[in-house]
Amino acid sequence: METTEKYHFDVVRWFTIMAVVYLVIGTLVGVIIASQLAWPALNFDIAELTFGRLRPLHTNAVIFAFGGCALMATAFYTVQRTCGVPLWSNKLAWFTFFLWNFIIICAVITLPLGITQGKEYAELEWPFDILIAVAWLAYSFNFAMTIAKRKTSHIYVSNWFFLGMMVMITYLHVVNSLAIPVSLFNSYSIFSGVQDAMIQWWWGHNAVGYYLTAGFLGIMYYFVPKQANRPVFSYRLSVIHFWALMFGYVWLGAHHLQYTALPDWTGSLGAAVSLAMIIPSWGGAVNGMMTLSGAWDKLRTDYVLRFLVMSLAFYAMSTFEGPVMSSKTVNALSHYTDWGIGHVHSGALGWVVMVAAGALYHMIMKLWNTEMYSDKLVNLHFWMATIGAVIYIVAMWVSGIMQGLMWRDYDEFGTLSYTFAESVAAMHPYYVMRAVGGLIFWGGAAVMMYNMFMTIRMASATRGVGAPARA
Amino acid sequence: MSDKSNPYKVPTTGHVWDDNLAELLNEPPKWWMIGFWASMALVVIYWLVYPSIPLVNSHFKGLMGWTAIKEFKQDMQAIEEVRAKYENRLPGMSAAAILADDELTQYVTRSAKVLFGDNCAACHGTGGAGNPNFPVLVDDDWLYGGKIENIVQSIANGRRGFMPAHAGKLSEQEIADLAKHVKAMSEGGEYAPGKELYAGKGACFACHGQDGKGMTAMGSANLTDGIWRFSPGTEEAIAYTIAHGVNDSNDPKTRDAVMPKFAGKMSETEINKLAVYVYKLGGGQ
Repeated sequence: METTEKYHFDVVRWFTIMAVVYLVIGTLVGVIIASQLAWPALNFDIAELTFGRLRPLHTNAVIFAFGGCALMATAFYTVQRTCGVPLWSNKLAWFTFFLWNFIIICAVITLPLGITQGKEYAELEWPFDILIAVAWLAYSFNFAMTIAKRKTSHIYVSNWFFLGMMVMITYLHVVNSLAIPVSLFNSYSIFSGVQDAMIQWWWGHNAVGYYLTAGFLGIMYYFVPKQANRPVFSYRLSVIHFWALMFGYVWLGAHHLQYTALPDWTGSLGAAVSLAMIIPSWGGAVNGMMTLSGAWDKLRTDYVLRFLVMSLAFYAMSTFEGPVMSSKTVNALSHYTDWGIGHVHSGALGWVVMVAAGALYHMIMKLWNTEMYSDKLVNLHFWMATIGAVIYIVAMWVSGIMQGLMWRDYDEFGTLSYTFAESVAAMHPYYVMRAVGGLIFWGGAAVMMYNMFMTIRMASATRGVGAPARA
Repeated sequence: MSDKSNPYKVPTTGHVWDDNLAELLNEPPKWWMIGFWASMALVVIYWLVYPSIPLVNSHFKGLMGWTAIKEFKQDMQAIEEVRAKYENRLPGMSAAAILADDELTQYVTRSAKVLFGDNCAACHGTGGAGNPNFPVLVDDDWLYGGKIENIVQSIANGRRGFMPAHAGKLSEQEIADLAKHVKAMSEGGEYAPGKELYAGKGACFACHGQDGKGMTAMGSANLTDGIWRFSPGTEEAIAYTIAHGVNDSNDPKTRDAVMPKFAGKMSETEINKLAVYVYKLGGGQ
């Protein structure tokens, strides 16, 4: 455990533990709401448990609770190791940890009570928005200051991605959350009408673009070469696709509002840049995959590497799918359907969770200086995550495309072939399938949490050190 | 680094992080670089083709003159051309006249399907099979008459059933007796104590008729056919209706029976279409 002497790892340990715990909780809420869509009786006629209240809880739990803790754990871990210095401020890191978790607890209470700004992925009311900004800036500042006092001459590529995310998310979050409070739990956006919609999706898509893509590419760039013990394939490729993503992604939000009151030029601008993002996105996938050249045999035995490779495959797939969906012809069919939900989950389950799981397993072993309690359970998690994600995505593809086709279908008399209710009824089998896929995926996450706690117990029992009990 | 850990045999940038992290000096794959520049070219082409560039007071319109609303109107026009053959004949035509024309009837029943699904099915069920406490439209039992003009009236102006609450006027025993009789009537029998109340103190005959067959002019239910406006058709449910009535504003526990008015929400043609559709569901008279 000499590393604990050198670096501030206790706070990283706790972020790691909480990331896994929130993954299990967040995906469980997802399984519940997926089941409610298949069997509406599961709303139990209790307002706090209805889909409308729990859906934001699910998205906030997986994006901010799980995603946030995973990003903070990995960024604080990576920045220390690649700069060769401990965190600029251990205290500030702990402040970030407690504040972030306090915000999550507030979300768990307020969202089911229906306290919301009604902005997708930004539902939390204004007091929590301010706390998020404070926690985020504390995290970013600590990270940047650690880089500033680094012992290495150059800044490692992971840290560019983390920094890019920090800068962009700060300004996206602040601008989108600008609101005039009228009471402690109520406020009105300072934007109105189509501007509000545009600002909302500028944030909405870039929460995906910077938080769930750039941040997680930062994870990929550290953990793939580390786990494979290979140098990054191409420095130049990482530079080009980094800047292309940073400058490109921020234009994409408008593609969510095509065929609406948003001016045509704005939607087209968003769609054009979206299509141009396929290749830059693939830059990350290519660089990760080619880093593995000569190490493919490791996949037979290294289950953690399997997560990382699978995540790159899903990443390449969903960064192709998204731009295609933003083209006008496809968008006219896919918008408002389950295809959107399928696309989001191919990114979220396949890319974000898989790459984070690989990184978290790697960190658990390093942070507690041990092997996993059970390698077989890591493999089991891998297969449950892969199969669960594929079932989920396929169900939503079929149901989404079916919805789109049913809504637009005309008979020989020029009249609509289906009522809306008929399209809802046709979704039922796919909603069941989605709930089953989600349940399998959740089961995998639960296996991971069990494996993690057993590993920590084992490590603490045998060595008497490394247990993060001093928090 | 051994050869196996560096199969590309190119040097690294010379920087090493965290013991063993390094970056190779490989060029990006050629196909990727071509794709990258092609993407940049695509953006420019897309900007030229579609309206994408904001100007001071307007925006560049794009070489194709595409707009979303134009695309929408073209799609709608294509569909309306198919419909026009039938739709042009419908305005001013009565529902009865539509029914007399086989081709139009076929068109109207098809085009009213979605109208029905989106406006009527929530209460009357998909295909008009009814829901608990909402009328079935597929049988030949009609509160307000099943002739095409009755149905047009029901849709256009809505219906509001009325039956007075009897809780204060009749004793609990009397209500129970009456309910027993009404239940017996629906099965072709009778119950003497209830029958006396029906024709006497309860004054039920005034609306439901001496024979209990109801009157479509006032929307009073036929009590002899075993089809119940308020389900289930048990003695308790019947007694509840007798006690609290229907839409009796003096009784807070009264039954609700309101068909909303669609005139104003729908065009006359749409109402006629729906009337023909409902008529054709199987129960029209």
